[in-house]
Amino acid sequence: MMINTVILSWVTFVYFLSSIFYILKLVTGKQLPGIIATYISLFGIIVQTIALILRWIESYKLGIGHAPLSNLYESLIFFAWVIVLLYLIIEWRIKSRKLGAFIIPFAFIAMAFASFSPNVKSRIQPLIPALQSNWLISHVISSFLGYAAFTIAFGLALMYFLKGDERKRKNGFFSRILPSKDILDELAYQSIVMGFIFLTLGIITGSVWAYSAWGSYWSWDPKETWSLITWLIYATILHSRFVRGWRGKRMAILSMIGFASVLFTYFGVNYLPGLHSYF
Amino acid sequence: MLSKIKNLFISFFSSLKLTIVLLLIIAIVSILGTVIPQGVDVSGKIESDLLNTFKFLQLFDVYHSLWFILLMVLLSLNLIVCSLKKAPAAWKLYSIIPSPDRKKPFENIPLDRILRLQKDKDQVIGIVKNILLKKYKRFRKKDLDEITFLYGEKGAFSHFGIYIIHMSILIIITGAIVGSLMGFEGIMNIPEGESSNIARLVRHNKVKKFDFTIRCDAFSIEYYSNGMPKEYRSSLSFIKDDKVAYQGPLLVNHPITFQDIRFYQASYGKMPGGKAHLNVKKGDENPNQLTAMQNDSFYFKEEDAAITIKRVEKNFMNIGPAVLIAVQTSDADFTFWVIKNLSRLKSQIPGLFEKFPKFDPGSFKPYNFTLNKIEDTYYTGIQLSYDPGVSIVATGSFIIIIGIFVTFFSSHKKIWVRVEGEGEQVKLSVAGTSSKDPVALQREINNILKNIKNELGEA
Ligand code: HEM
Repeated sequence: MMINTVILSWVTFVYFLSSIFYILKLVTGKQLPGIIATYISLFGIIVQTIALILRWIESYKLGIGHAPLSNLYESLIFFAWVIVLLYLIIEWRIKSRKLGAFIIPFAFIAMAFASFSPNVKSRIQPLIPALQSNWLISHVISSFLGYAAFTIAFGLALMYFLKGDERKRKNGFFSRILPSKDILDELAYQSIVMGFIFLTLGIITGSVWAYSAWGSYWSWDPKETWSLITWLIYATILHSRFVRGWRGKRMAILSMIGFASVLFTYFGVNYLPGLHSYF
Repeated sequence: MLSKIKNLFISFFSSLKLTIVLLLIIAIVSILGTVIPQGVDVSGKIESDLLNTFKFLQLFDVYHSLWFILLMVLLSLNLIVCSLKKAPAAWKLYSIIPSPDRKKPFENIPLDRILRLQKDKDQVIGIVKNILLKKYKRFRKKDLDEITFLYGEKGAFSHFGIYIIHMSILIIITGAIVGSLMGFEGIMNIPEGESSNIARLVRHNKVKKFDFTIRCDAFSIEYYSNGMPKEYRSSLSFIKDDKVAYQGPLLVNHPITFQDIRFYQASYGKMPGGKAHLNVKKGDENPNQLTAMQNDSFYFKEEDAAITIKRVEKNFMNIGPAVLIAVQTSDADFTFWVIKNLSRLKSQIPGLFEKFPKFDPGSFKPYNFTLNKIEDTYYTGIQLSYDPGVSIVATGSFIIIIGIFVTFFSSHKKIWVRVEGEGEQVKLSVAGTSSKDPVALQREINNILKNIKNELGEA
């Protein structure tokens, strides 16, 4: 095993630890576990960044230099990295550590899947000619920013459901510890908007890449088609909010459907008949 | 009656319900398209009612089917009608500048937005005016008795954000339809050293003949150390009217455009057989080189003989590379093999030529053939496309990004400032509204207050 993959498999445990502390923070309502959790996450993302840079350098040493964004393993690692990054930005902006318990675990899951699933190869592989493109790099970056934002929206939707009915007299356990529904709803909406913007950019940069590599900016291959389906679902969600004013529970349900579509776009399409599935 | 139909039309096509239904139908149809294999030719295969129904519904080519285009047209109508219906309201929001002396914005403003200053009133008004003029394109001022009202606004353009987005989607749909009606996609496989002017079209099982010829001068592959291909390139010449009009390498991700048609390095393959390098020796003369592929023919003038390379085998009967040569003269017609590992075979099988006369490379007298090597030859797989809609789609994609930024990252902010005397003091109140971003508005107002204090030396 190369040093970067060893470090990255350790980062998995760092995110696990950080998830535990975020959950502790949420359950106990105390400040200290939250502060510890933030520092662990910061530590994790810094180490992960270093490991990614090492991996990049290593690929050049192997004579096949390319950005670490070119296979399932690398995309999962990058996915986790973006989730933690976006989350830390949100935490810093809203000055609350209550959301971490429902977001950082996704980074942990992605890292664990990358590091420990026998189906995910962690070796640095050379790039086949079609993947040697800068458009592809911008495509992957914007797509995964989008996926991560939708994942965060999904975490917020989960919290929304657990929160239950605020107006009830006897509040359940989750209802007491979670942030108010208005905040969850607003944050979920903002995450969806961010995700939608990045997904739009991802689709556009992807078709520019396809135009220079495959002969057509759009060829209805399953991956392309599913990204369009995801886009249409989120467009529907946004319209129902803009025009109909749908909020709360309906939005939460819709954003779960949207997330299912994201997952299928990411993993599911590999099981469909198609031409080029790299991730 | 007519106006009733018109109203019905407008209310049907401007409804968001229609939008949502259409978007979801398109999503579902797209899912079908990823589950049912697309573009396969099912005619003549197994006939069944289900298959025929699918064929009738064009489910094997969903994305080019009539009703998919119909969905696009409905979606476009939806967008156009809705935009036209709402445009006047947006125009009003954009163009009408409210009067500076409105009272409502000042109702219930927080206390920190009111300053009480020991300054000259006219000086304060001058400073506020300068600050607002600097930051806001639209500025109004109004003096009413003892009160002065100042007003500034910016970001009015943000009301057009969604129209820009919707328009860009119309542009993209237009470009896609133009492309699918007027464009084509094709495939050409050209062996190294050969030319072609015919492409097989991807859809409809048709071919297209060009008024120019493409010659593949050379094809090469570079491999990584683990055997994966690193780069493949074809050197192409585009020949028109017997002249080379363009010459250059074609690489993956680096297409060539010729006469508005784009050519892509898509694939490659090995030709059956390969390229044989032979030596031909006549009596005691120096040997001549002969390079040939399967089915190549040569004419030997002195003997009036036609020589054809019938087969090029990399591993003939497990004894290695061999070439089958056919000789045709006016009075003879025979074939023989030229084997690369002849000496080894001879030592294994004594009296080889007596047992197998066909293995004698000197069968065609007075010549003797030897086989040096057989080289792989490749054909280059070129994908080509002509799509006049691309620039339209690209324009639409560019505009949608602009529209998204205008929609989500700008807001129409209006700021009112009221300056009035209050005994010895000057009372200054700041109020504002924002079309969607209350946080940014708060920041905006705090900035203004800070600037005013700075200018007055009260920070
Ligand atoms: C996929 C193609 C789209 C279609 C067919 C579509 C269609 C429509 C229609 C028909 C309306 C008007 C409904 C009404 O006011 O009653 C509408 C409103 C709206 N659309 Fe879209 N839209 C599309 C994409 C988008 C995108 C990508 C965005 C931005 C992210 C967007 C943002 C909006 C907004 C903000 C409104 C509300 C306008 C208002 O309240 O006046 N739309 N859309």
